[in-house]
Amino acid sequence: MVEVLRALRLYVLLQRASARGAMQYRLNTVIGILCGAVWQGTGFAFVWVVMTTFPSLAGWGLAEIAFLYGLRLTAHALAMIPMISVNDIQWVVREGEFDRFLLRPLNPLVQLMGNRMGIAQFGDLLVGVTLLAVAAQHAHVRWDVWLVAFCLAAIAGGALIEAAFFLALCSLALRMIDTFQLRVFVDDVFSKFGSYPMKIFGGVVEWVLTFALPVAFVAYVPASVVLGKLDSPWAPAAPVLGAGLIVLAYRIWRRQLDHYQSVGH
Amino acid sequence: MIRVDGLTKVFRRPRTFSGPLGTLRTLVTRQYEEKSAVAGVTFEVGEGEVIGYLGPNGAGKSTTIKILTGILTPTSGTVEVNGLVPWRDRSANARNVGVVFGQRSQLWWDLPLIESLRLVGSLYDVPAARFATSLKKLRDLLGLDDFLDTPVRQLSLGQRMRGDLAAAVLYEPPLLYLDEPTVGLDVLAKEAVREFIVETNRTGRTTVVLTTHDLADVEALCRRIILIDHGRVLFDGAIDALVDQPRRLVVLLESGPGQVRGVSRDADGRYVFDIHDDLPGLIASIAAEHTIRDLSIEEPDLESVIKGIYAR
Amino acid sequence: MIRIGFRLALAYRSNILITCVTLVAQVFLLRMIWTSVYGARPAAGLPLEALLAYLTLANLQAFATHTIVVSTAHHRIRVGTVFFDLARPVGYLRQLASFQVGNTLGGLCLLAPVVPVVLLVGSITAPADGPGYLLTLVLGYVIAVELALLISLAGFWMTETSAVALFHRLVSQFFAGTMVPLTYFPGFLGVLAEALPFKYLGYVPAAVYVGQISDVSGAVAIAVAWVVGLAGLLVLTWSRARRRVVIQGG
Repeated sequence: MVEVLRALRLYVLLQRASARGAMQYRLNTVIGILCGAVWQGTGFAFVWVVMTTFPSLAGWGLAEIAFLYGLRLTAHALAMIPMISVNDIQWVVREGEFDRFLLRPLNPLVQLMGNRMGIAQFGDLLVGVTLLAVAAQHAHVRWDVWLVAFCLAAIAGGALIEAAFFLALCSLALRMIDTFQLRVFVDDVFSKFGSYPMKIFGGVVEWVLTFALPVAFVAYVPASVVLGKLDSPWAPAAPVLGAGLIVLAYRIWRRQLDHYQSVGH
Repeated sequence: MIRVDGLTKVFRRPRTFSGPLGTLRTLVTRQYEEKSAVAGVTFEVGEGEVIGYLGPNGAGKSTTIKILTGILTPTSGTVEVNGLVPWRDRSANARNVGVVFGQRSQLWWDLPLIESLRLVGSLYDVPAARFATSLKKLRDLLGLDDFLDTPVRQLSLGQRMRGDLAAAVLYEPPLLYLDEPTVGLDVLAKEAVREFIVETNRTGRTTVVLTTHDLADVEALCRRIILIDHGRVLFDGAIDALVDQPRRLVVLLESGPGQVRGVSRDADGRYVFDIHDDLPGLIASIAAEHTIRDLSIEEPDLESVIKGIYAR
Repeated sequence: MIRIGFRLALAYRSNILITCVTLVAQVFLLRMIWTSVYGARPAAGLPLEALLAYLTLANLQAFATHTIVVSTAHHRIRVGTVFFDLARPVGYLRQLASFQVGNTLGGLCLLAPVVPVVLLVGSITAPADGPGYLLTLVLGYVIAVELALLISLAGFWMTETSAVALFHRLVSQFFAGTMVPLTYFPGFLGVLAEALPFKYLGYVPAAVYVGQISDVSGAVAIAVAWVVGLAGLLVLTWSRARRRVVIQGG
């Protein structure tokens, strides 16, 4: 416990240092956040444009889709704000910078995570939370404390699911296997297919996105439960799956770390 | 302080494929490329020693250092550093050692030097009071005051190296690994680095393992060197013993027979004699039989001795 | 320069492979979404078949005409190798344009095998106006390259253009109508999309192809005006940029 608190404290310190470094390029930071917001904004603008003409998508109204979209986006942002730095792992390993992390008395993953602040991801968060807040009022949901608590747990679960896949793929870079393009693709699948009602994809694809790559659990399943489209026994699925997957992903990371071979001997 | 026995490291990596599906093929391949970087290295380093760990590029120096610092896990052999197995107790080992890579900085690129040092202090849990005294000492010793508030990316190479040295000893580790700490520095900066190493070793009884290609570093700092090549130890002992050899007389003749007093001509057409005591006598005896075009006397120096060892 | 751009495209072929899979996924997603909304309420205007063909084409075009010249130029300005480019006897703008064209050609070669798959997933019909389609597509591509060059030149004033480039890409893809035909853009957004040049990169050629636009003359005239106008702007900007380089010397 003491060790976890220490790691957390040092993570904050490292993150603050990288933020201070980034502040020297202030205009870039602002543009970065804006870009994140615009990127996700145009994604939702598509839904909005379509749904001004066609009021229903597989039985979901605009507010309901917005809720689903916001849930997915918030989970995604919360996963990537701390994890985006791990995306640099290929570069960090190749430049020998990872060696330095191993020379210090702190978990190398924490050091890697503290290496860079996710800037554009705050734009994602901005759009996601805004969508959630607006949609929550228009989607005819009877809110109570339990439902809000469930939403928070579901967001955490969704974030953990995305983070787990991301971490597992990134860790392969410790053995010099470049998975960057693959990560871009997986991220694309999560964002493209996770933000719409699964029903529209039909049969095989729906099955794959539920059980093979559990995109459905990031937002679709929890949103369906909140919106009364799915029975509540499904409610704990996302948080439970998220917790399980992140543990598994960390195991994979540790295994790859044991096989780390540095560069240029 | 350091005990290394039969250390071997074989790098084994999957063959990498390129082209479409290259990543996938790399992932599932059963083909491996093997290369042993260190093959049965054994040595010990005592507390307070300064040793030069030398070898040509690709000899296995960096691999050894990486194992000693816990970055790499060896294939076989045992290592004990200050009572710890580095790769098993990586975190604990990290607190015992300071590391400087001349080619790479461990400082935060965009931050002022002082901020980097503060971060290092936090990472190694240095209490505030000890940090203050440590920093005070280093500021004097390394002359950090001029650039303490400058972002690291704006520092000159010499300043950056001083900053890196400060970061490596800030938490007063009993052991220091220096990997080419003077590479690319000008004469004055090199001198400053060497003085600092001497001082740290003297006052703190800090053990220093130095790898370098600059033999002037070695002559200034080390009493003992370990030479390795192709992953094996070629020599381990005092420098004095290594250079304790006779001076040599090198002679060029106008022309003549292939042999002069039992010495044959080398590839450059020179005759090389070991000088024992009577140098004038030696020259006179050669001059008596041949016409000397040129002659010079070679002092035994580390570089040629080491070259000789590698060539064996 | 054409050859360099071409080679670069081929060098990143595993990259392109993933891009192609992404493209197929994108077209599949759009197909499913539109089929679903059309199912709920039969549409006014485009029949579903034509709409799917439109979307398939528009996305294929967007991927094929994607420009990378901004990031390349930016990189060369930042590390200083741009001075080698400026020292060459061929004009800088021409070099950049050739590079982009070569890169696009390389990309097309790699894209070729995927096209049948995309067409199958997206379902396609025969062109309503083949020559008109090609003409508007080429004009659209020229406009795309000109816009990319303009942003590349901005690198002489700004230290960081990657964010601007990304911004440009997002805005242009959205207003090109790669996900929604411009006719479905509501109110103000529709007016804006009609006025911006981005529609020539996606909507106009694709709409000509499926017969949504039957008379190409008007569209061609305005597209040509854009091409000429942007070319003038480019020349003007470049003369300013060059003066700036000369004065600052880096």
